[in-house]
Amino acid sequence: MAALEVRDITSGYGEVQILWGVSLKLEPGKLTALVGSNGSGKTTMLRTIMGQLRAWQGQVTFQGQDITRLPSYQRASEGLVLVPEGRQLFTDMTVQENLEMGAFAPRPQPQMRRNMERVFALFPRLAERRSQKAGTLSGGEQQMVAVGRGLMAEPRILMIDELSLGLSPRLTLDLFESLRRLKNEGQTILLVEQNVAMAMAVGDYAYVMAEGRVKMEGHARDLLHNEEIRAAYLGV
Amino acid sequence: MPAQVLTSVVDGLMLGFVYGVAAMGMTLIWGVMRVINLSHGPLIALGMFGTYFLFTGLGLNPYLGLLLIAVVGLVAGFVIYGVAVHRVINAPYLSSLLATFAVSMMIIGVGTAALSTSPFNVDFSLGSVAAGPLTIPGTRLMAAFAAVLVAGLLYLFLYRTKPGKAIRAVSNNRGAAELMGIPSSRVLALSFGIGTMLAGLAGGLIATFFPFTILSGETYQLKSFVIGVLGGLGNPIGALVGGLVLGLLEGIIPAFMPVSWVPVIEFALFVLVLLIRPTGLLGGRA
Repeated sequence: MAALEVRDITSGYGEVQILWGVSLKLEPGKLTALVGSNGSGKTTMLRTIMGQLRAWQGQVTFQGQDITRLPSYQRASEGLVLVPEGRQLFTDMTVQENLEMGAFAPRPQPQMRRNMERVFALFPRLAERRSQKAGTLSGGEQQMVAVGRGLMAEPRILMIDELSLGLSPRLTLDLFESLRRLKNEGQTILLVEQNVAMAMAVGDYAYVMAEGRVKMEGHARDLLHNEEIRAAYLGV
Repeated sequence: MPAQVLTSVVDGLMLGFVYGVAAMGMTLIWGVMRVINLSHGPLIALGMFGTYFLFTGLGLNPYLGLLLIAVVGLVAGFVIYGVAVHRVINAPYLSSLLATFAVSMMIIGVGTAALSTSPFNVDFSLGSVAAGPLTIPGTRLMAAFAAVLVAGLLYLFLYRTKPGKAIRAVSNNRGAAELMGIPSSRVLALSFGIGTMLAGLAGGLIATFFPFTILSGETYQLKSFVIGVLGGLGNPIGALVGGLVLGLLEGIIPAFMPVSWVPVIEFALFVLVLLIRPTGLLGGRA
């Protein structure tokens, strides 16, 4: 059974339709990449999966259950976790408080201490800055808090919107390395990423979106070496 | 002269503690959900009548009565949030302003019809404490003590407990809070409930030493604006400090100039702080 299945979703903002019948499937324990140029509908897709945006038509199934009408906080409580674009930290709260908020739901709550140690092991720099307000951190550190906060929720599915946006190449490499480690531990991941080469390198399976539709899908390795796709959609 | 100034200072500070509690609920709601609660004053007045009826009617000690007022206030806050505020929480400022103004008019309308506008008085005394030239009524001391206690408890709640931190998280970034599984609507209802509870408590304390009518809350509501700007929004310690500053001004100013200058100076200060430090003298919000 797929960990998450999205079937024929249409959605948008107000009168403006962005998604035109998108379907995708996440296999458990795999890293699925969702790539495409700016404005292709990737973030809209994530927001619809999370319920921040209402699906006009279609169905979102999470672990065999239809969650299309569930409010987003309930989806989050169930373990469908989004690390949003632009990090969206609690800037006036400390790093540690941000991580605690990640474990707000009843399900991850009992393992909060253990998971926090896990996050600090993954991002040692956060341990040094645990009492600092999140708003005062550098961009890279803020992204670590955002990913760490997502992990505190013990995600059944971890969705990350633009992991590398605005980060230095060095930090991007570090974060992708952390992502690979998570995947090897069995974490199911959906990664939306502008850095297509990197996303394909860690990804198992990939979807290429354009103009609100899935234009191509397949094993990440195959897609990356397909000349037609490289030229048309990936710009690499 | 020094003794007279000292008396003014202490009187002012005693009043300041009460202003602090009165402002705490308003700045909490303002800071957390960006709603300026115009029903805050009338809710303070209802707290005053709470003490009156519990004490005069049932003979309950006013400080025990406060516990009951707190519970009723919390529930009343949930109801007001659910009925009047929730539907306009994402609308422009004016909508929530009008919604809480409507609640205010209803309380004042029904209150005036049922309780008239002639002053009520709670005939309760704890004696007084004398120290040198100073005489402080026991009820005023109790109010000051309660103010510090409430500010401290509210601070601990917001910074040390899970629901308190959730309130700060929702205040800071509501969308992100939802992504963490925090039911933000319920958290906002809780914040409004606590704000209303604090209004009731402030009124209940004030009633032990000042006469009052259903309109008496308005003064405190106006002061709460100034205090919120002085102490920052959503910060209970800031509200207490802001209240003390205001109380001090009100104690000292009449010693040097006509008492009618008090509001002029207070609101001049309000404008000045807004111009120089829009986040409040004590910095940020919850």
